[in-house]
Amino acid sequence: MTYLARITLGLLVMAATAVSPQSGSKGPVFAKDGSLVLPAGFRSWVFIGGPITPNKLNDGTAPFPEFHSVYIERENLRYYQKNGKFPEGTVMVKELALAQVGEHPDGSLDSASGRGYFPSTLNGLDVMVKDSKRFAGTNDWGFFTFGHHAEPYETVAKESSISQCAYCHIASVAKTDMVWVQYYPLLKTKID
Amino acid sequence: MMPKYLFSLIAGVGVVATSWFVLAAQTQQSAAVFNPDGTMQLPTGFRKWVFVGAPLTPNALNNGKANFPEYHHVYIEQRNVDAYLKTGEFPEGTVIVKELTRVLNPTFPDGSRTEPSGRGYFNGEYNGMDVTVKDSKRFAATNGWGFFNFGHHPLPYAESAKEASVAECAGCHIAYVAKTDMTWVQFYPILRDGDKTK
Repeated sequence: MTYLARITLGLLVMAATAVSPQSGSKGPVFAKDGSLVLPAGFRSWVFIGGPITPNKLNDGTAPFPEFHSVYIERENLRYYQKNGKFPEGTVMVKELALAQVGEHPDGSLDSASGRGYFPSTLNGLDVMVKDSKRFAGTNDWGFFTFGHHAEPYETVAKESSISQCAYCHIASVAKTDMVWVQYYPLLKTKID
Repeated sequence: MMPKYLFSLIAGVGVVATSWFVLAAQTQQSAAVFNPDGTMQLPTGFRKWVFVGAPLTPNALNNGKANFPEYHHVYIEQRNVDAYLKTGEFPEGTVIVKELTRVLNPTFPDGSRTEPSGRGYFNGEYNGMDVTVKDSKRFAATNGWGFFNFGHHPLPYAESAKEASVAECAGCHIAYVAKTDMTWVQFYPILRDGDKTK
């Protein structure tokens, strides 16, 4: 390679590096005592689905009130679509939002687009992290709740007990890497 | 006279800098791509945009046939969300994508089902896409926004769509949400309350 070619190549590499979007998962951040730091920037991750469990359909108090918007980083989604499991360090964020209060007994609202459920205020955040060493006792995943209430959420959270979170995932979705993939269209298809 | 290699080097830097500029300019362009006949091409990459909220109008609560069946997943590019939060209106060229999904296998008459997390609604298959585009010249007659429907059915969606009639889409937005830049911001928590995680 000539001198000039090397310089040109170098410049091109620099340019490519400079303009490429963020790549590589940033992964979870743990405090010294093992608690998890509230993930940042998750609203720019990929939204994969939004189950809704209205309070009015759950005796007034849903375990997760009420919209569950689930986010995952793009490279971890890609890995799952390819391999059928999530890579080490995967963080999944479930942010809750209350539904607008409707006039119907089931809590639904009549809107211009029809009768149904519509998000109102954000209402909490739960996180799961895959780390096969740290969370070996719960099928490689740790579970954290940063509060089920309006913002601001807690800034750190300690690992939830097995009875709070992990047992239900172990009982129901151990075969799909502890994730309810059946609720998330992007995890069931390989589309972009 | 400048040594030849130095000239090439400077030219090379110029090319790189120009490429950079072009790339930077492209990232500021609208995500809307129009065909010569005015139809709009199906947006791509929208699942990487910011998800702002998901109203749900189950068929079972709408006489078996909701106008938008059934989940409405709404996506906006980050820079346009940021601009809206700063100024209260969307920039020219803003594209808002609403992707529909069905609900997952209903078991109750209202379309809900019971899962370990409770009784409610869960996403089923993708089921269509609607798009609004802000272009104050092209869509001057409908408050600066154009409306496009790429089909209400499973994937694949239509590759292009012509502007929907006023009666199909714009009429309702004009009647209800003209004051909030034609968008139902009340249904989208971060548009209404801001993004406090940033």
